[in-house]
This record gives sequence, structure tokens and C-alpha cells, in this order.
Amino acid sequence: MNRNNIWVHISFVVILVALAAVIGQIDRWRAALKTLPPSTSCPIRSVPKTVPAVPQARPPELLVRFKQGVSLDEIRRVAAAHHDQLEDEIESVKGLSVIDDLDNTDPNVLAEQYRSMKDIVDYAEINSQVSFDDPVPAEFSAQYIDHPVPGLPDDPQFADQWALDNQGQENGKAGADISALEAWKKTHGSEDVVVAVLDSGVDYTHLDLRSNMWLRPDNVPAYFDDELGSFNDQQGYNGTDPLTDPMDDNGHGTHCAGIIGAEGDNSEGIAGINWHVQIMPLKFLGRGGFGTTADAIKAINYAIDRKKHGVNIRVINASWGSTANSKALEDAIRAAGDAGILFVAAAGNDGSDNDRRPHYPSNYDLPNVISVAALDRNDQLASFSNWGVKTVHVAAPGKDILSTWLGDAYRDASGTSMAAPQISGVAALILAKEPNLSVEKLKERILKSVDKLDSLNGKIASGGRIDAAKAVGN
Amino acid sequence: MGFTKDTAADRAKHDLANRLGIPEADIKIQNVSDKDFPDMALGVPENGEMSGQMISSGWQIVLDAGGNDYEYRADKYQLRLRDFKGKNYVIEK
Repeated sequence: MNRNNIWVHISFVVILVALAAVIGQIDRWRAALKTLPPSTSCPIRSVPKTVPAVPQARPPELLVRFKQGVSLDEIRRVAAAHHDQLEDEIESVKGLSVIDDLDNTDPNVLAEQYRSMKDIVDYAEINSQVSFDDPVPAEFSAQYIDHPVPGLPDDPQFADQWALDNQGQENGKAGADISALEAWKKTHGSEDVVVAVLDSGVDYTHLDLRSNMWLRPDNVPAYFDDELGSFNDQQGYNGTDPLTDPMDDNGHGTHCAGIIGAEGDNSEGIAGINWHVQIMPLKFLGRGGFGTTADAIKAINYAIDRKKHGVNIRVINASWGSTANSKALEDAIRAAGDAGILFVAAAGNDGSDNDRRPHYPSNYDLPNVISVAALDRNDQLASFSNWGVKTVHVAAPGKDILSTWLGDAYRDASGTSMAAPQISGVAALILAKEPNLSVEKLKERILKSVDKLDSLNGKIASGGRIDAAKAVGN
Repeated sequence: MGFTKDTAADRAKHDLANRLGIPEADIKIQNVSDKDFPDMALGVPENGEMSGQMISSGWQIVLDAGGNDYEYRADKYQLRLRDFKGKNYVIEK
């Protein structure tokens, strides 16, 4: 191959790489646009946080550090002699200058020219410019473009997830979060862990959820209840209609599911506490978001049955409740505990003391029940949240929480409904690392893994906000 | 079919007229306002009913009949009557 051909090939490769980078950016814009929800009255957050820059030609520049005693006039003279100019002097580093090339010399050649001036130059290096739109090789794009900050997921709306990483956005308090970034240094979750979302169903087709949805394995028989007959449980359980799948027709269950396990680092929407997990929908709430105690019990019974058939259900999330006490519901939850299933329940939204005015199922005094209060982005108990120093165990972010919604959408929602899945999510993270942890030990770990807050002193049993990093340990 | 603020108020008037055994014309709408409720049963669950613990937007409808106030609550999915003779009722869902 002659020398001219080499340059033709190199030019061709450069053009291809540049084209690939531009197409990649268009795909990212397209992915961001997909997150725009349909018209709704709910507050919607769907703006990607990275602002794409227009690709620009850049002049080859050098960073040259001249030896002590070399004057600016001398630097200018040297630069002019090489058809260059002094563009800037970096005041904070004595002798460091930015040299602009005026005659399109190859930057490597230019750098060598300056390095050869050993009497006056300490070092000379090419000023590499890295931006999101640079046509950089693929191996660099994975490191610098998809992960601009190490440890951060590339989900475009992650910056709005103050519960996971509160940097003080929207007048919040920096650090008032569950320390997800620290926890993710240890684990991003595991698809071996199944979390049941006992709720209004889950939109299992959602772009940010579908890869983390449970599907009944081939070796697990379809569910059959002696009284209720056969169920279509390929994708979970639907107690409101056994013949149909548990598709969410409300949105509440989909929101809870996203907090627990929206796929992370997939360039789509948000990140769940678990980037990888299996979400099993157990639908008993209808499209209005309410349902009967009996249907809740049947759904719990289903979960226990599936556990006995080998499905690794370790957590049930219960973002619902009322002041109605039911011994039968209590017994069903106890049975779930006996089967090794943690039951995480919302403390309720009446702004009242659960020690005096009980809320169920969160108030059941069972070894597998955790009752969860809600915090705002300033580490204050949310105005609507119930509390109870004897009956509410732990607090978690629950106000203005961004998560998945019906139809590939995302929206903010508030309530202890949004706090409970933070705890369910952290429980699943723990189990990803320690799959054999007993339900009692799991509960104990969660209640000990809190950041104590003055605002919760005398309000809830642990006196703190869940800290996922503490929970997953070393 | 879901409710709007107007259809919910009309439906509430119709329900109250039937309950009290009076003509709808004798029922006045005192106030219909947007409101956030503490849960998805709009803060007025029937006995034994469980609901999602998410703050939910809807409408508070206050009707007057014979000098007494009656409170209904609604959103696009449901209409409820609060504390009628000591009980909450789901009127339509």
C-alpha cells in the first residue's frame, strides 16, 4: 500500500467515525424524545439534561510550559518564528501557555518542535478537546460520553431523581437522599431477586421496565386456585380479572415499580434503585387505585404459592392501606413472612400518629413488616406523612418523586406510596449481595442502616432516613 | 367513561336526590373546587377498602339540600359520598 493510499484510508475512517458520532447523538435525542409523555394533567418531567453542542472544527493547540525566567516577549518571538501565536497565558501555572498554530502543522509535529527546545521548554502537549459530540473512538465514547461522571447512570432524567442523588436541586438539601451512588459501587441489583408489587398492576411494556419484568419460568406451572380456577399468570397476577394479565390501568403500580427497578444506565428515562431486578405485578387495585382486603389477601396467597414453586420472591411492596383492621390480612402477611418474604408497607397519608390512630397493613406488629414514612427533599417529614415512634419504622423520600407512568411516560408523585418502594428497592439491593439473608435479618439490617435526622427524633422508631450504602455494607 | 368536574357534580346531585327522595331541583351546588386528597380513595374509603397512598387530585363537591350540606368527592375514575349517616359510599367507579 503506497503512502497516498494510507492517507485516503485514514481520511475515510475519520469521516466514518464522525458520521457514527453524529448518528449516535441523533439516537440519543430520539431516545430522549420517547420519554415525552402523552398529554396529562400530572406534572411531567421529561427534559434530558445534556444539551447537545454543535460540532465545531477546532484549531490544533498546544499546552507548552516554558521554563522559569522565559519572558512573555520571548515566548511570543518563539511562537512567531514557528508561524504560531501565544493565545493565552495560564496565570495559575507559572510558564504555562496556550499556543495556537497558524499554518496547520500536524499537532504531533508541532509538539515535537517545542519539546526540542530543551533550554526553554519543560514540556509541550497537545490540547485534547473532549466533548459529547467529539468523533472519538468507540472505546472512549463508552467511558466519557455514556458515563460523563464515573458511577452515574446515563439515564437522561437521573438529575431529577433527588431521592437517589440530592445535589440541592430545586431548593433541596444536598445529601438528603438514600446514597444510591455509594450503594451502586457495591451492587446494581440482581435479576435473581424478585420483588412483588402488590398494587394496580404494572405497565410491563414500559420502555424503562420491560427488561426487568418477571415472567413465569417454564418450569413453574400456571397458577390454579381450587375455588377461583385458572389464572393467566404468565406476567404476574391479576385478582381483578383472573383471565387477563396484570397490566396497570391506573399508573400507581407502575410508579412504584419504577422506583424499585426501572432499568438503570440504559439511556432511557430514569434509574431504579435496582438497575437489574425482577418485578412481579400482583394486581388487586382497580383503575381507580382502590380495592378490597380480600383481593389483597388472595394476591399475597398467590405470591406465597409461587415462592413454594421456586420463584425467589423476597419482598412484597404494599403502597396502600386504610384504617380498617383485618385479622385475615394480618395472617396472610404473617404467612408471607414464614415463607421468607419481607412486607414493606406505606405508613399512610393522613398526617397523623399511627401509635394513636392505627393504619393497616403498616401497623401489623409482625417480624416481616416494615412501615415507611415519607420525607421531602429537605429531610423533613412530609406534611402528609403519618408517623409513630412505636409503629413506623423508617423514613424514605416520598415527595415529588419522579418515576415511570403509563404509556412510556414519567411523572412526579407524592405519598408514602412513593416512600415504601424506596425501602423495597434497598431490600432488593441487599439481597442481590446477600441472597441468603433471612427476612428477620433483612429487616434488622434496614432499620439499622439509617442516617439519623433531628426531624424524625421522637417521630419514628429508627429516627432516620434509609441509607442504601450503609445497607449494602462492604 | 370517566368523570369531568361538571359530570361529577351532576351525578352527585342525582344521587343525593335519590337518597333523600326529593327533586333534583331542590338541591343546590354550594361549591365545586379542585382539591388534593390524601389517597386514592379520596380520603373517604368504604369500610374494609384499601387504597393507594398517593396524593390524588380531584374535586370536592358540596351540595345543599334543605339547609344541610353534603360532601361528595370525585376524580376522573370515581365519585364518593363522605360521611352520610356515619358511612362513606362509593357512588360510581
